[in-house]
Parts: sequence; structure tokens; C-alpha cells
Amino acid sequence: MGKLRFFIAIIIGKIMAFLLDKIFKRGTNTPGIVMLKICPDALSRFIMPRNTICVTGTNGKTGTSNLLTHIIRNSGKTVVNNSKGSNMAPGLASALVTQCTLGGKVTADVAVLEVDERSSQYIYTEFTPKYILCTNLFRDSIMRNGHSGFIFDKINDYLDKKTTLILNGNDGISGLLGEGVCDRVFYSVNKTERSTDTCVDTVCDLIACPKCNHKLDYEFYHYNHIGVPKCSSCGFSMPESRFYASDVDFQKGTFVFNGDKGESLVLPFQKGNFFNVFNITGACAVCRLMGIDLDVIENSIEDLSSKTGRFQEKKYNGIEVVSMLSKNQNPISCSQSLKFLDSTEEEKDVVLLITDSNDKIHGHEDISWIYDTDFSPLNKENIRTVYVGGSRCYDVANCLEIKGIDTGKLVLFESYDDLANEVSKKSIVGRSVVVYFELYATSVVEKIKNALSQKGDKN
Amino acid sequence: MKKIVIEVLYPEYNNLYGDRGNCEYLNKKLSLAGYDVEIIETSLFDEPAFVNNPVDFLLIGPCQEKHQFNEFEQLKKYADAIKDRIDNGGVILATGNAFELFGQYIENGDGKSTECLGFYPYYAKQFTKLRYNDCSVGEFENMQIVGFKNLLSHSYGENPYPFLNMKKGCGMNPDSKIEGIHHNNLFATYHTGPILPLNPQFTDYLICLVDKEYTPVYLEFEKQAYDSRLKELLK
Repeated sequence: MGKLRFFIAIIIGKIMAFLLDKIFKRGTNTPGIVMLKICPDALSRFIMPRNTICVTGTNGKTGTSNLLTHIIRNSGKTVVNNSKGSNMAPGLASALVTQCTLGGKVTADVAVLEVDERSSQYIYTEFTPKYILCTNLFRDSIMRNGHSGFIFDKINDYLDKKTTLILNGNDGISGLLGEGVCDRVFYSVNKTERSTDTCVDTVCDLIACPKCNHKLDYEFYHYNHIGVPKCSSCGFSMPESRFYASDVDFQKGTFVFNGDKGESLVLPFQKGNFFNVFNITGACAVCRLMGIDLDVIENSIEDLSSKTGRFQEKKYNGIEVVSMLSKNQNPISCSQSLKFLDSTEEEKDVVLLITDSNDKIHGHEDISWIYDTDFSPLNKENIRTVYVGGSRCYDVANCLEIKGIDTGKLVLFESYDDLANEVSKKSIVGRSVVVYFELYATSVVEKIKNALSQKGDKN
Repeated sequence: MKKIVIEVLYPEYNNLYGDRGNCEYLNKKLSLAGYDVEIIETSLFDEPAFVNNPVDFLLIGPCQEKHQFNEFEQLKKYADAIKDRIDNGGVILATGNAFELFGQYIENGDGKSTECLGFYPYYAKQFTKLRYNDCSVGEFENMQIVGFKNLLSHSYGENPYPFLNMKKGCGMNPDSKIEGIHHNNLFATYHTGPILPLNPQFTDYLICLVDKEYTPVYLEFEKQAYDSRLKELLK
């Protein structure tokens, strides 16, 4: 019965995936949703490739899994991945059904699957990945994720001893996953010229030793709790890393990847995106474990370095607009994107669209996270006006005042249309506009860009 | 210049949901009102300042469920000092699962239980799978207290000194309409995160408990933020 259900699910999944791709020209989760309705244990019935890699963690999983897919494809292998769909069970099923036989045997040589941390229980119980790479664990959206310990348990409780974990040796939270259960391989990033002796960020998610609860020392911090933790009370420290990045050069945007056989490679990372050093090092570690040649890795990363991520820059009638995605309700992501303002001295206006723009549908937003966000870059003299938009604009403004931001700079708009018009009216050539927006606010960013374009027409 | 001391217990653990906002807001308001503010942050194995020194505000925020045992083991050593503080009208603001500290015990998901201070008859039960999220409104005296909850437990049993009558959202548990503890100047509530900046009027009320001569100062947007939230939540 189960076999038949799975067979039907595959057929319907394939037809839907084909049609949806023809109509919408993009991936969707609908085939997976329908497949799992027909055959709830569909994920366990696929015959997965021997090399199945899952990538999880709070930050960097999309970048890392895309990079992994790219390198592995360049090595001549075929890869199935879920980059076009969601990172939850239906997204995985939707991806797998496009590359499998009618019997459910996945035909790609390798599967690279991005997995939402909270979906671990619906995925690792269905099949056992050969590798799970966890990029890091941080506090994230409160309503969805609670706290990092809750997410740690969500992953740790469902790990199989046959899986090898690839873990960030600079993260004392995710670095404890699978302890005593799985084989674990660590990668890390050596001290850089920007490392600090104390935590300079608002949030540090690991202040106390995870073993003895005494205050934890750090040899240095890269950012937040990412660094080299060492406990002077009980001696806790992170295991040695088999793969590591060294010689990070922020001016050139390069670093050296060091493998476990003494091999090394100079690799580019996008300048200004230090997190990429972690993503690339993690991806390279998996590739080396799979036996992929150094030249393949080197060539793959070079041709990726020109692509941009969630950062966009474009001029609209002479006014430069920089837009940066700030992950929803995630204080770490928001603080890190705001740091971009520290790197420039030119005059700027800033637009904050960081609270849920879709709260009419999602419901009232828990805005607690803004108090964990570091807004201090907004105080710089070259930041002229700070526009705050959306129904929670007064909350953001109140938080900014509490945190010592000059309220004279603030202009608030509950209505996004009014905000877009005002930004357009007040903007001048030579002063760029930096827009921080959450996932659902892309249409508001478009509104601002359109308003700026039309301003040119009127002149 | 009058001095005011704020003690924050175990910030290395009790800072999960923007709870730092409470201390930051108190500090901002008090400083604007002309007080000399001292903030003491006490780590888990250190003796809290309030035990032997004057402290005006004692803040205890929520921690990860698995850390409650460690914290409560430490705090039980100071049970008498905490009891004295409550009896003598010292202000305590306990938020999130710190509310459970003052009850009898917590039934953990794994069948074990964590013993609490036992000052009041209620007890807590943890659940493991889904977290409980809420945006709620509760009434205290003539004030509407708004806030958020992110919990992995509910409380049951008798509560002789409830803090809030819930108008929206659940109380100690989904079947209860009362929530928290208000006994003398102990305010314990399941609300997590920055409850003080969300409730400027309540914050002024707390400051008045510490200094009757306090004349409220207002931040530029605090009232608009509060009014717009209350209106939305009661819609």
C-alpha cells in the first residue's frame, strides 16, 4: 500500500513540478506538499544518493549550500538541491521528485539539501544524510525559534550516529552538536586583524561555559559569540579544527584555506562579507572530505566571487540606492547589515523597513528583538535622515531613543506610500539612500525606487 | 542628585528576548529625570548585591529552560534575603519563566522536577514540542499592560496574589485569566522581553514606588508606540 502511494505521489509530483515550472518558471513547494499528503513518509522512501549532504544552522546556510552545489557540479557530478524551494520537508520532496526514477531512486550523484533547523525531526528521521554541515547557531526570530538552546535540542535530538557532522569550531553552541554520538569534523577561522579581545556586539549568545556554567573566557572574538572560547574554570575548549582559514586579508578580500593534508589555497571572499570566509571554509571542508580536487575548488570559488548576495546597489536618476536584506526579526542579521554604515563616510539617508510589513496577515509582531539590535551606526554624522516605516515605526523609534540615537534624525511613517514619496521628495544627488528591508518588504523597496525614478521624470 | 541602583541578575543567561530593554529604558528615564543611576550585573556564582546592599530595582529575566535548575539552585541560597525583600517592599521585576521561581516546583518534560522557592502555591509544567507565543493585554489597577510571551511552560494551582487580569491572551495557563504575582512590590509575570519600554505608565508607577517624588519624564515616541499597540491588540 505504502509503495503504491509513493508511486502515485512520485507521478503526481513529477507532473506538477513539470507544469508549474512551465507556467511559473520558478520552483515552488506545491508538488512536495501534495506528495506528502498522498504519501506522508515519502521522504523516507526515496533512495537517496550515497553522498547526501544537509546544510543547516541559523545564518549562512543558503550561501553555503549554493556554494557546495556549485563546486560539486564543477567537479563533474550531478547534484540535486532545493535552492528553488523551501528548506522544509515539502521543499525537499519537491526538489527530489524532479531528479528521480518512477521507483523513487534519486538519479543525481549527490544531494545538497538546505534544511531548516526546526525541520530536523521531519527530515533526519526519514533518511540519514552522510554529512550534516551546521554553519552556526544564534538567537533568531523569537516567535519561531525561541532561543538557541531550543533549536540546539531540535537538531541534536534527531541526529543519527551514522552521520558525520561538519561543525564550526568557532561556535561554542553548534559545536556541541552530536557530542559522543556522531563523528565530528571541525572547521574554523584563525584570528584576523579585526578580531577583538572583548565582545563588541550587543548580543553574545554564549557568555557562560556550556559545561560548568562559570563565566567563559575567549581568546578572541570574530563577531558575537563566534571566536575561540576557553573556560578557565573547567578547561572547556573547542576540539581542534581539521580545516581552517588563515591570513584573512580584508583589503584584498582573500584568505588561505588550509586542508587536513597540509594543502592550502588562496581564495577570494566578497569584500566586506567576512561571513563568507566561514561559508567557504565549511563548504571546502565538505568537498575535501568527498575527495574533490583543489583546482576544482579554486576555479569554482573564483567564478562565484563576482556574484552579489542580498546587497544591491543601483542609481535612480543620479541618486544611489543601496538595498540590504535584513533577515526578519533577527537582531544579529540586522546589526551586521547596519555595520555597513561604519565603513563609509559619504552622506547618506537611511530607511528602516525592518519590522514585519505583512503584519496584517501574520498578526501583531513581537518586536522584542529590536532591543537586541545594535543601532549605533545610525548615530554617525554622515547619516542625515533616518526614515522608519510601518505600523511598528513608533516602537523602533522608541527603542532608538532609548539606545541613544539622536531623535532629531528620525522621520516616521506608518504608511509605506507616504514614506516612499517623502524619501523621493527629500533625496538629493550626491547623498545615497540605504534601505534596510525585511523579506516581505521588497515591494516597499520597489515603491521607493519607483518614486525616485518618477522624480527624475518631473524634473 | 539622588542615586538609584538597578541590579540585573545573571544577564549571561537571562537575556534571551530583548530583556535588556528593561534595564536600558529604566536607565534612560531615570537619567533624564536627573537621577544618578548605577547598574550592577551579577553573574551566576556571585552573591547578588541586594543581599547585603541597597538595591532599588531587582530585575530577573527569563532563561533557557535547561538553565532554570542551575539558577534556582543558586537563588535558593538567598531565599531568606528574597523573602525579606518582598516583605519590606523592595521592588522586584521577574519576567518570563522567572515567574516560576516563586512557586513550588517545575515539572520538566523529562519527568524530573526543579524545586523553586515555594513562596506561593502554584507550580509549572514544561512542554517540549512547540513554544507558546502570545501578544497580550492584562489589566493591573487602572493600567492596561501590553506585552509578548514566548514560553515552553504554563503554571497551575492557586495564585493568591495575581498581578494581571488578562483581557487578551492567556493567563498562567490557557484556561486561566489571571497571570503573574503582585505581592507588596514583587511583580512577576510570564511576559518576556522589554515589558517596561512597552508600558511607560507602568514603568513610571514602578519608579514612584522607589521615589515618591519622581516626576514622570516621557520619551518622544513611547506613548504613540504604546497606544498603537493597545489599539491593535484590543481590536
